[in-house]
Amino acid sequence: MRDNTLKYLLVLPAVVVVFATAIWPLIEAARLSFTVGRLNRPGSLEQYLGWENYTWAFLEEPAFWNSVWVTAVYTILTVGLTTIMALGLALLLAPGGRLRSSAQTLLILPFAMSPALIGVSFRFMFNPEFGLFDAFFGVLIPPLADVSWLADPNLAFAVVVMADVWGWIPFLTLVLIGGLASVPRDTVEAAQVDGASGWRVFRDITLPQLGPVLAVVIILKSIFSLKTFDQVFMLTNGGPGTATQTLSHYIYFNGMKYGQIGYSAAVAWLMVIPMIFLTYAYAKFVFRKN
Amino acid sequence: MAEIKLNNLTKRWGDFVGVDDQSLHIKDREFLVLLGPSGCGKTTTMRMIAGLEDPTAGEIWIGDRMVNDDLPKDRDVAMVFQNYGLYPHMTIFENIAYPLRVRGVDKSEVKPRVEKAAEQVELTQFLDRKPKALSGGQRQRVALARAIVRTPKVFLMDEPLSNLDAKLRVTMRAELKHLSRELQITTVYVTHDQIEAMTLADRVAVMKHGVIQQLGTPDEIYNDPANLFVAGFIGSPAMNLINGSVRNGMFVTTGGTQLVKLDAADRAKAILGVRADDMQVHDAGQGDIDVTIYAFENTGESTLLTVQWGKQRVIARGDRHLRKDQDEVVGISLDPDHLYLFDPETEDRIRI
Amino acid sequence: MTGRQRKQFWRAVHAALILVAMFVMLVPIVWIFLAAFKTHVDVYQLKLFFTPTLENFGIVFDDPYRLGQKLFNSTIVALVTVVIAIPIATLAAYSFSRFSMRGETMMLVIILATQFVPAVVIILPFFVMFRDIGLLDTRVGLILVNLAIVMPFAIWMIKGFIDGIPMDTEEAAMVDGSSRLQVIRNIVLPMAAPGLLTSGIFCFIIAWNEFLFALILTNKEAVTLPIGLALFKGEEGDLWNLLSAAGIIIMAPMFVLALMIRKYFVQGMTMGAVR
Repeated sequence: MRDNTLKYLLVLPAVVVVFATAIWPLIEAARLSFTVGRLNRPGSLEQYLGWENYTWAFLEEPAFWNSVWVTAVYTILTVGLTTIMALGLALLLAPGGRLRSSAQTLLILPFAMSPALIGVSFRFMFNPEFGLFDAFFGVLIPPLADVSWLADPNLAFAVVVMADVWGWIPFLTLVLIGGLASVPRDTVEAAQVDGASGWRVFRDITLPQLGPVLAVVIILKSIFSLKTFDQVFMLTNGGPGTATQTLSHYIYFNGMKYGQIGYSAAVAWLMVIPMIFLTYAYAKFVFRKN
Repeated sequence: MAEIKLNNLTKRWGDFVGVDDQSLHIKDREFLVLLGPSGCGKTTTMRMIAGLEDPTAGEIWIGDRMVNDDLPKDRDVAMVFQNYGLYPHMTIFENIAYPLRVRGVDKSEVKPRVEKAAEQVELTQFLDRKPKALSGGQRQRVALARAIVRTPKVFLMDEPLSNLDAKLRVTMRAELKHLSRELQITTVYVTHDQIEAMTLADRVAVMKHGVIQQLGTPDEIYNDPANLFVAGFIGSPAMNLINGSVRNGMFVTTGGTQLVKLDAADRAKAILGVRADDMQVHDAGQGDIDVTIYAFENTGESTLLTVQWGKQRVIARGDRHLRKDQDEVVGISLDPDHLYLFDPETEDRIRI
Repeated sequence: MTGRQRKQFWRAVHAALILVAMFVMLVPIVWIFLAAFKTHVDVYQLKLFFTPTLENFGIVFDDPYRLGQKLFNSTIVALVTVVIAIPIATLAAYSFSRFSMRGETMMLVIILATQFVPAVVIILPFFVMFRDIGLLDTRVGLILVNLAIVMPFAIWMIKGFIDGIPMDTEEAAMVDGSSRLQVIRNIVLPMAAPGLLTSGIFCFIIAWNEFLFALILTNKEAVTLPIGLALFKGEEGDLWNLLSAAGIIIMAPMFVLALMIRKYFVQGMTMGAVR
């Protein structure tokens, strides 16, 4: 067979699978978003409404705006905190040695943990009666001794953020260690000899050269933060009230609990839009490297 | 400007000994070359002077200050790295200016000094570019400019020419020599290239296995090697080393050939060293000994004859107009004034 | 302090910081691990020392929890997903790696992009469709949607591995008389085998940990392990000792797999985007 035919045949099955499992649902979700789309009302999935689901979300639903706000704050906090802490940890581990190789191995464990399980474990850790972190924070910060973390809107939000940061630090750290290792050592040494202090070396030499890796890490983490569902579901189920209801959770709730498939498809598509920008930025980095 | 003193300097990583209890006194304004094969400890020695590596034991003095515990930035040295260590995200101007900037040199003063340094290495037209846009030789010049932009106590150069192609290396070598004569700053230069060592150095320290084998002027190193290692390492082609013994004032090869008269005591085992240039090629029967040509090479400026000498092969240099062919027989004679004798056990030189 | 002492001091601080960080990273895992061996009495106290028991593991496999069935579902779903995804992805990855096609960059970007589509978007139409054709609460249905998250990932990752195989070997084989398909079978597959295994393990972990699809599509027969966790939220609160035992059953195999491929971990998770 000629390569010219073969090359298209080889990609065909994959393209079909990707189309059927990812592209088609996107298009179908777009179609659903313009219908009445009630699960319990036969025929409503073909009953067209125009933009009403969208205008409803924007104009009539404070809960939608609440979840947008929750997701935005959640994304900014988790991306910021995870990146800074992971960078700190990566810098600690960068010099190498025996501690680093064991640390690197151990860091893989939290990341192999399912996010749902992370949610469970943090609910456990913050249990007001026998949670380890609850006790720890109680000793460290006395005003927090008697609080019930998951019952307070702000503290529950803090716990959800902590669980996410905890779950993502290992991955970001490992990536950043790789990034630091690819900063040529002689540029760092040249700067040391040139007279730069440790901090100046980091600011003038290491950080600028780490830039592209940091950008990729931040983009990736933003994408994952925006999508967050599993931990939230297991940890707080969006509560108390709607204090920790992320967009994914809001969509799930409206679609599955209330059967409003059309409306939740509309919100889901609104969520796809920032993803497109982030993916575009990510793809630019990926292809610039190649 | 300063002298450098290394006192009983040692560097170990676990069981591996990088530098073994070495002392070295580098004079003010001297150009000292550390020469040796890879892994001999020459780079480690330099990195300890720079402060990039902590010595396991011993003292490092720059001028009248013990700098063991000083950070690199406080040692007032400038270094040129093998891969140049240029800052890829800065322009050439910013690269050269960086040592001034981090030392808080007044902004109005930075520009003229960078421009002067750039001029000295002929880089003026590239100041706005990034390192990526420059060729290897130009990058090398940037690294040099960054080192000379301020007047450090010491220059350190770690195989600065090894990443250049052969032709450029010769040009840069001359430029480097010119610059160092002009600047008159104490310089430590690490290389595995003996030609660089011979041409640039005031003194050369030949190293092996973390130990300095010989310290001397290029002349001494070449013409008066202290031991077998130095003799074999310096010179191109390498010095011929012939196994044999000394009997009745004659050097006798292992094969039993009486080779040459030697004014030395008898010994059962000895190695005779003779450079290719210190052998004359004659027609068969006219030299000390007749040998068969194993290979004949014409390099243009001279000819090289690899001749079979019993079980050993020896290289002799012939006139550039000499024409011979494989398997021909020629006569060889050795210059009696330039013969070296070594003890194969201790590898030390036996003075004749 | 002399310079030497100062250096030693900072070295100690440095090591201490690393240890503290590691401690924080591991405590929640260790705590679950301990709780799984505590009795239902011990688990409701902050106890570090206790008499370990294995009874929790017995209970979770018994009625009414029957975790064995969930374990079986998870294994089948993850395994079949991988077995379907890897061969298909390998063929495509080879083609993307070795040939240039019209619209290749476009295809690759779209494949990359589908990786980032929120799972909630994908699952809504699938739920409607599965309801209509009777695939709700089946392993087949779950496998199909799992392909959506695993496939793009596998293509990119395997492409990275194949990109790393030098062309010369293939060209030598073709000069020696192999056809393109023989080259793929005899040269590329053996050389890419470690990469394929790594990618397979990655996809297995992803499918195993998958939560949202299983939550929405299953309720009884095809329930997987992560969804099974919800069983232990009793009326009088959570049954932590049982949750922990189930947690170990979920994460222990993943730890083993993750450690097996730790060399490729970072590379895999960023799909070759970061060096």
